[in-house]
Amino acid sequence: MTGGKIVIALGLVIGAVLIQTTVFQYIRPLGYAPELGLLTVIAISRYLDAEQAMFAAFTGGFLQDLLGGSPLGLWAIAFTVVAFVTVKVRAREVVGPPAVAIGVFGLTIAGLVTYMILGTLFGLGIIGRPGVIWDLLVPAIYNLVLAFPVFWLVKIAIRPQERSMVR
Amino acid sequence: MFPSGRRLDRATALFISLLAVGFLLATFDVRSSSGGATTVLRDGAQTLAAPVQSGIDIVVRPVVGFVDGISNIAGLREQNERLAAEVRRLEDRLRETSALERRVAELEAINDVAAPEDLATVTARIYSAGPSTFDQIRFINKGSADGIVVGQAVVDENGLVGRVDLVTGLSARVRLITDPLISVGVRVQDTNQTGAVTGRGDELLRLDMFDASKPVREGAIVITDGSRFPPGVVVGYVNETKAADVGFTLRTTVDPSARFAELDFVKVIVGWSPLDADPETGDPLIDPPSFTDPGSERQ
Repeated sequence: MTGGKIVIALGLVIGAVLIQTTVFQYIRPLGYAPELGLLTVIAISRYLDAEQAMFAAFTGGFLQDLLGGSPLGLWAIAFTVVAFVTVKVRAREVVGPPAVAIGVFGLTIAGLVTYMILGTLFGLGIIGRPGVIWDLLVPAIYNLVLAFPVFWLVKIAIRPQERSMVR
Repeated sequence: MFPSGRRLDRATALFISLLAVGFLLATFDVRSSSGGATTVLRDGAQTLAAPVQSGIDIVVRPVVGFVDGISNIAGLREQNERLAAEVRRLEDRLRETSALERRVAELEAINDVAAPEDLATVTARIYSAGPSTFDQIRFINKGSADGIVVGQAVVDENGLVGRVDLVTGLSARVRLITDPLISVGVRVQDTNQTGAVTGRGDELLRLDMFDASKPVREGAIVITDGSRFPPGVVVGYVNETKAADVGFTLRTTVDPSARFAELDFVKVIVGWSPLDADPETGDPLIDPPSFTDPGSERQ
């Protein structure tokens, strides 16, 4: 059953990356799109074991690298970092929508900063670009808005696996 | 949090291992030449993902278009009146320019200039974008089977869009001119001086001219100079009037003519290759069109 959970999680992350490359080429309020792949990694990492979460995150990030224009491995690292941090903070005794919102915002920023630093190290010159702060903040705010529907979808997709595991 | 300290160690060990793998992949990808293992991986992923992305695109595009149409109804009347006035103005302008066009056509024929519109093109449709804000790329539904090769220029009805940088059998990746990795050799139309335009993400393009003896004025048309892109393709319009600083260097911004947020159909110029430029000097073997007074200096 644990295998079922990881397959569903992988499917969700891959689906998110494909939606990111298609739907969000049209829907770009203010010229920015949410980082749906990162958001889905945060969502699945709430329900998976640490190893599973990082494996799914790395695979999803690697796919994003393959479909993107940056060197392979950069998004894979950024997704893995986000999954690792999410697993670390998920059991804190802070619950409720405000905590989730702050967590999603902070983790999205963490993932994007990781990618920006790596991208700059590997010659993409991201940190020196004009408007880089907005590249960071606006997708994080969009992720905040999308967090609750995405978390709900991930919950209904993964939870049945957990229930069958208990039985 | 974790059942035991041992499990935490395993997780941390896996985390560090994945980071190391990621770094190795990135280093290998950056160091490897085109056509290497990473290119094969990208080709494979793109080939697998393209049908799914195209399917999603087919479903999503009409919905987005419908919603856009609904949301724009309020502004359509005002836009219609504005466009009618614009049409009248352009009709007047067209009458003035048709005489000039005939003259340019005669000059091009005399000088054997290949204008961009005469070059062979392949029409393609964009079906996917890069997966993040930082990616200045688009994917088109034509590939090597249609004669697309790496390095070809991509244009739309407004001007230069980018350059093909990855090709699979049925699709290709286009790196937009807004990507900081892309630099376009250009000529400012009204001064005929050359420079280079560099992408800055979603911001305006940067124009650097290293031997500028004349200022550039706001609104001046910037066209390709024919070194790595076909000559005479509109790149954009100078955004700010600037004169050269000390040492004749001039830096200003250019508003790209292509509307990247609205890209749909594009044309890949397959009838021109960067190899058509002189390999030693970088000058075009096909002369770019001259926009100065034809009687003054063209040799």
